[in-house]
Amino acid sequence: MKLPWPLYLAWKQLFPSQKKVSFFSLLAVVGVALGVNVMIVVIAFMQGFQDKFRNDIINAQGHGRVVPLQSSFDWREMHRKIEDYSFIDEAMPYLQGQILLQKGNYHSIPFAMGIEPTAENPVFDIDSFLEGGVIRMNSHDAEDITPVPTIDSLEDEVVFISTQVANRLGVRPATAIRFYDSNQSNQSIASQVTISRLDPFVESGEWEVLFTSDQNFIIKELANGVEYNATLANGSIDRGFGIPVFKPLINSEPFKEGDLFKFHVFKASIIEVYSPSMIEKAKADEMVPPREVRVGGIFEVPWQGFHTEALISTMRLMQDLRVEEDRVDGFYIKAIDSVAKRENRLGESCSELQKSLGEGWRVIPWFVENAWFFDLLKFEEYLMTLIMVPIGLVAAFAIAIALMTSVLRKTREIGLLVAMGGSRISVGTVFCLQGFIIGLLGAVLGCGFALLFMYFRDELMTFIVHHIAGEEGQAGVSQFYDFYSLQIYYPWESTESLNTFLTFAFFAILISTFAGLLPAWRATRLNPADALRSE
Amino acid sequence: MNNRNEEVLQVKGLSKSFLFEDQKIDVLHDIELSILEGMSLSIRGDSGCGKTTLLNLVARLEIGDCGEIYWGQHKMNARASCNSKEATLRSTFLGVVYQSYYLIPELDVLENVLIAGKLSGSYGPGVRDRARSLLSKMGVGNKEKQIPTKLSGGERQRVAIARALINQPKLILADEPTGNLDERTGGEVMDLLLMSCEEENAALILVTHNPSFARATNESIFLKKGKLATE
Repeated sequence: MKLPWPLYLAWKQLFPSQKKVSFFSLLAVVGVALGVNVMIVVIAFMQGFQDKFRNDIINAQGHGRVVPLQSSFDWREMHRKIEDYSFIDEAMPYLQGQILLQKGNYHSIPFAMGIEPTAENPVFDIDSFLEGGVIRMNSHDAEDITPVPTIDSLEDEVVFISTQVANRLGVRPATAIRFYDSNQSNQSIASQVTISRLDPFVESGEWEVLFTSDQNFIIKELANGVEYNATLANGSIDRGFGIPVFKPLINSEPFKEGDLFKFHVFKASIIEVYSPSMIEKAKADEMVPPREVRVGGIFEVPWQGFHTEALISTMRLMQDLRVEEDRVDGFYIKAIDSVAKRENRLGESCSELQKSLGEGWRVIPWFVENAWFFDLLKFEEYLMTLIMVPIGLVAAFAIAIALMTSVLRKTREIGLLVAMGGSRISVGTVFCLQGFIIGLLGAVLGCGFALLFMYFRDELMTFIVHHIAGEEGQAGVSQFYDFYSLQIYYPWESTESLNTFLTFAFFAILISTFAGLLPAWRATRLNPADALRSE
Repeated sequence: MNNRNEEVLQVKGLSKSFLFEDQKIDVLHDIELSILEGMSLSIRGDSGCGKTTLLNLVARLEIGDCGEIYWGQHKMNARASCNSKEATLRSTFLGVVYQSYYLIPELDVLENVLIAGKLSGSYGPGVRDRARSLLSKMGVGNKEKQIPTKLSGGERQRVAIARALINQPKLILADEPTGNLDERTGGEVMDLLLMSCEEENAALILVTHNPSFARATNESIFLKKGKLATE
């Protein structure tokens, strides 16, 4: 191959004939690669965090908020008007405020939000928050089979509370346990009866499901003697609110006569609610009984910026508590996918909506409302880069020192190359190219390491955390850093990731080449005759 | 002198002095030298008399105080440093052989010869074949994949001679090429050098302390007190 001789010689000095790789080259390339790898991985994780927070915020707050600047307006008409806009997928009216909760001697003052419960295309993914808040009871002879509550169970006398509120008050939603295997059958293949719905209005009690044949069974409530017959062909047995919905699950071992399933149902906790207006009345010596509500579910919002002590109720309950009939505080909006995906488009659409709604309205996209947080994250990302750039510079200094040593060691060779017809600049280029080659190979290897780290991140994190912090530490890392569910994009999946890879690869090549400049300059300054005479 | 051939090198009025502790020391004074194509010339003299300096000035690796140097028809100012055009010309016009061989340790034997070709812009199978043929002529054809550190001193110098000849230079400058070799090996290397120069029709300037090697050249001169004198 017709390589220019400086490039040929630079390559050969790094990777000599008869040797696969020189020790210096190996150290230099691996050093640069590790630096590139660390820089890419850290920034990829930072971008992953940003992405996760972005999704968490959107899940908890929608794509934006429409806020009135005036107190009186026809919210139903405004709701229709907002939903008529082409970029709006869903708009949800809300009321919010602070209330006082009491259970026995325990109190909590959560942030309360009243919403219109809608199961179809909701602005908030409340069902997934409820799923995240599930706490199972542990027992040695029974299994907690409480179905995960859904937005469907939100009624005027029912509230969802955050985990912190539940813990503070010591309350929980209705719970059902099934006693282990009174049929002495193999659990893995045995058919089972479970509960598919447990609404907040069920009362505590013991229930039995007894099979009278392989198809027919009796459901009994033991305390009151309520009893009704059912067959497998009916599927789930729904007798209305207040009664658990039992559901037979047929497995490879069919039901048989005499199969008995025992359940214990605990009713939902009831908490007392005081609103600011009630407290005002109490101050005026007016007797105001608290409002009693049932705990329909416990939720956990992944977005850390969301109120830790929070309550979700129906809008009507909030209106009652605030004594403000037929009023809302604003609307949460959800944009259609094509607009939601791009922040600038969402911003433009929100501005257009605000303009068309008139002076009395503000439309605030999610990234404006949480700008402080993303500015903080961006600052952290820049700070990380600022911390890591010196790492790269240290590698560059190491390369410069090694190449400088090489120049000193090869002084007579430099003289010889000039004597054989090489120009001083070409001889200097040999050393500059060595820096470039180290940077290039280090960048490629570093990108490879980064891809491997990203691919095996769960295994690597488990290994690292396990060896540093043990099992308990692992739980902490999962809880606070959430590395395991972090979405990290490969360069072929996102432009941002591709830019990160290219930026750091280019940075590594640039500083390595610069590291070669000083030795190269030293080489060009050598007098060939003196170089040949040197010992 | 052989008048059949053209002049390969002419040196006119070349002087060189060094400053040592604010004192000017004249090393070479008004040197006049001429060598024809295919001719060999030996220069002898005491250690430190300026033989290597003269070779470096001829090779344009050092700047003289005054004088002119002609590489064939190319006139060069001895007082100016070598420009890139002259550097390119040097790669094809000159071949150099030194006492310490100066082989590049990262390259194998064949690559050490080829690097001189690459420096002059010669690539391709033709150069490779010529390098192999020169190595065979030097008796190290079977060592082309060896690295220099595995070779003996004599073998290294043979490789250095092959490297000097690869670009078919008009002039070979050999600075005590047998200085590090024993008498027998030195004799063999010198025979090879003289024979190769004759075959390649390259002129040779040989700096040596050995009178018998000096006698083997077409002409022999002394460098004494900065002046050249015939033996």
